[in-house]
Amino acid sequence: MDSLVTFLRLTLLSMVPFVLAAQGTMLGGRTGVFNVAQEGIMLVGASLGFIGSYLAGGSTLVGIAAAVLVGGIFGLALAYFTTTLKMNQFVIGLSLLFIGTGLSTLIPKLVIGVTLSQPLIPTLQDLPIPLLSQIPFLGTVLFSHNILVYFAIVLSIGLWYFLFRTQLGLELRSVGENPNAADSLGINTSKHRYVTAILGGMLIGLAGAYLPMVYTGTFTEGMVKGRGWLTIALTFFAGWSPLPVLYGSLFFAGIEVASYRFQAGGIAIPYQYLLMVPYLATILVMMFTFRKTRVPGFLGNNYDREKRSL
Amino acid sequence: MEKEAILELRNIRKVFDKNVALDSVSFSLYPGEIHGLLGGNGAGKTTLMNVLYGLYRRDDGDINFHGQKLNIQGPKDAITHGIGMVHQHFLQIGSYTVLENIVLGTDVSHPVTMKLSAEAQKIIDLGNRFRLPVDPNAVVDTLPVGTRQKVEILKALYRGVEVLILDEPTTNLTPQEVDDLFESLRVIVNEGLSIVFITHKLREVLHVCDRITVLREGRNITSLTRAEASEEIFVRAMVGDQMKIEGSVYFSHGSMANTAVDESATPALEMHDVGLKTKEGISRLAGLNFQIRQGELFGVAGVAGNGQRELAECVTGVVIPTEGKILMKGQDVTDVPVCELLKDWISYIPEDRLHDGFLPKANVAQNLILGYHRQEPYCEGSFIKWDTVYDKVRGYIGEYKIKTNGPEDPGGNLSGGNIQRVMIARAFSMNSHLMVAHNPTRGLDIPSMDFVYNKMLERKETGASTLLISEDLDELLLICDRIAVLYRGQIVGILARKDFDKYVIGRLMSGIQAEETADLRAAS
Repeated sequence: MDSLVTFLRLTLLSMVPFVLAAQGTMLGGRTGVFNVAQEGIMLVGASLGFIGSYLAGGSTLVGIAAAVLVGGIFGLALAYFTTTLKMNQFVIGLSLLFIGTGLSTLIPKLVIGVTLSQPLIPTLQDLPIPLLSQIPFLGTVLFSHNILVYFAIVLSIGLWYFLFRTQLGLELRSVGENPNAADSLGINTSKHRYVTAILGGMLIGLAGAYLPMVYTGTFTEGMVKGRGWLTIALTFFAGWSPLPVLYGSLFFAGIEVASYRFQAGGIAIPYQYLLMVPYLATILVMMFTFRKTRVPGFLGNNYDREKRSL
Repeated sequence: MEKEAILELRNIRKVFDKNVALDSVSFSLYPGEIHGLLGGNGAGKTTLMNVLYGLYRRDDGDINFHGQKLNIQGPKDAITHGIGMVHQHFLQIGSYTVLENIVLGTDVSHPVTMKLSAEAQKIIDLGNRFRLPVDPNAVVDTLPVGTRQKVEILKALYRGVEVLILDEPTTNLTPQEVDDLFESLRVIVNEGLSIVFITHKLREVLHVCDRITVLREGRNITSLTRAEASEEIFVRAMVGDQMKIEGSVYFSHGSMANTAVDESATPALEMHDVGLKTKEGISRLAGLNFQIRQGELFGVAGVAGNGQRELAECVTGVVIPTEGKILMKGQDVTDVPVCELLKDWISYIPEDRLHDGFLPKANVAQNLILGYHRQEPYCEGSFIKWDTVYDKVRGYIGEYKIKTNGPEDPGGNLSGGNIQRVMIARAFSMNSHLMVAHNPTRGLDIPSMDFVYNKMLERKETGASTLLISEDLDELLLICDRIAVLYRGQIVGILARKDFDKYVIGRLMSGIQAEETADLRAAS
């Protein structure tokens, strides 16, 4: 029982970076902007989250603000190059990925210098919800987490409501489905694409900052470890919808936690194999679910009003 | 008319790269009229209206609306001023409901809960008033083309437009749906709105419009009321002096003499219970049984997406049917791949020229021999004889009037109409027993269409057969010996020339097995 509680608790805890990054990806994709730079943006978010907090004397808030800001800047760059300059989304996304990866190691070296052991920042405190956290089992699993766990859940539900139950959501999705139609009805397609790309970048940056702020207390090179890539797969098999993204994140987090627990449990499987588990799971899940899900009709394309089709 | 024009476009100019699409075009619209904007493909009709609707930025000229100069920057401005447009390719979100498509971009009464019952009621009321009934909760993707068009018109009416622009609204409609549409348009103008009706079909214009403006090659040719004009004036205005109208197939009303078909010879094509299923088991074609005789021009009518593409691909060997047999001149060719069939047996004009028919990065000569590059006279052993190719292609460029700088010009530099000409030149330049032509005249101007029709009729004289699959019913009625109607992957009727009736075909196209059809068959 105890190990089950711990497992579920850790799963919820590890779900957060997946949820934030995948919701960010989903949001951009809903207007047609397909971000593939998650790994890079998460790394630079992790790096700046750590540095921000470190420079402000351990202030979590400053760290989070720095990560969100840099994520937003990457989102803005993606929007500008693809929506205004109409450049290929994948090429720009990959460039941003490498820029983010590079900056993530460069900045700590510039600010802190090369040290034998990186300094530590305080990690996020748990905020048990009064009363609810007293419920046996559920209280520990659901209601005794850090604030970003709650935020991830509220965000997912909020995004679902926003996209599917409001006028603005209807307009926003129309841009990702058929921008010709949206444009012909006077909807500002560029504005929607900019806003979602920037907000999406912010969420992805925040997802990166979660790693030093909750897991390790410090930044290490390449600490995102492929979670950014998994996010893309996750968003696809969740059909670019907020609630399935939440469930899918739980699934991936569960696999991640399980693979670490197997390692710690000293089972005689080389750990490299265990690290492959999330990716194998991705392929399997994609095989069975991807065929049925649908993607926004205009995903990954750029809209040019005056371009004539032959 | 003594009334003041509510809308005036003066000296509109629009240039795409180096192409002058509109050269100082003027247009005026009176309240309560249906104004036909007539012209062949590439005349600039749609471009002019896209400029008015704010989709294209104009390079020069003025727009006056109610006597005031309008500065339209985008569709939003046009809608605000009461100008609405229904595009030929519907601008709809397929996964949204009718209701969502119509209210999209407007302010709804409950923006944060999306309780849209008031909006739905308004749509139903508008539908009743203008005879455009739709179900607000239907998902657009599931609707037939005719209903989607009603949605598109309601979208404009919902926004309270004064001027409604319809771009080729009858494309893909059955004749019955066309009649319904015209009736609705009359109701709309009787309520005081004005309509601009863009079309290349002369008969429709004469049928429904009060005034008619003709454009050709981006210029104003004439503007007349229906009363003061004869059909001949418009024909001349549409095609200019370059074409002889007497003896043209396009303007012949299908009255040209059709040479008899030799019924005793082995059929050029026999389809025996041909069916096609996708990997998921969805049936695309089922139980196709028909013969095309030697020298016959056999037409296939149907609303787009009822299996036309699959039929063309089965006959040409691009796709192997999952059921049945295909014989050509008595020989079983069911499993013969397309590269073998292209030797003597067939020639093919595919529907989707950019996807299946053309390589934009290859040059004109390469595109013109594509598929025949393994054969005489273009090939010897494993080598292509480029001298012969370029010689031949230079000839074809002249014969088929392909506007290009030469055989070395990259294909991507050609306009849509000229790409179509390349594909037509390719198909007609080689001998074949059976030509499969899928929407071969799409994007062509009238003289070129006429050229294609003449070429097809010429084939009959040599005993070569043609399978013409077209969405343009008028085209089929004009030149075919027999017309089969395809509906949901099945042939629901085959009519001989003497029984041609566009309403009968229209009913078959919409899946209604009308009694009249049976009567006709019994009578024949």
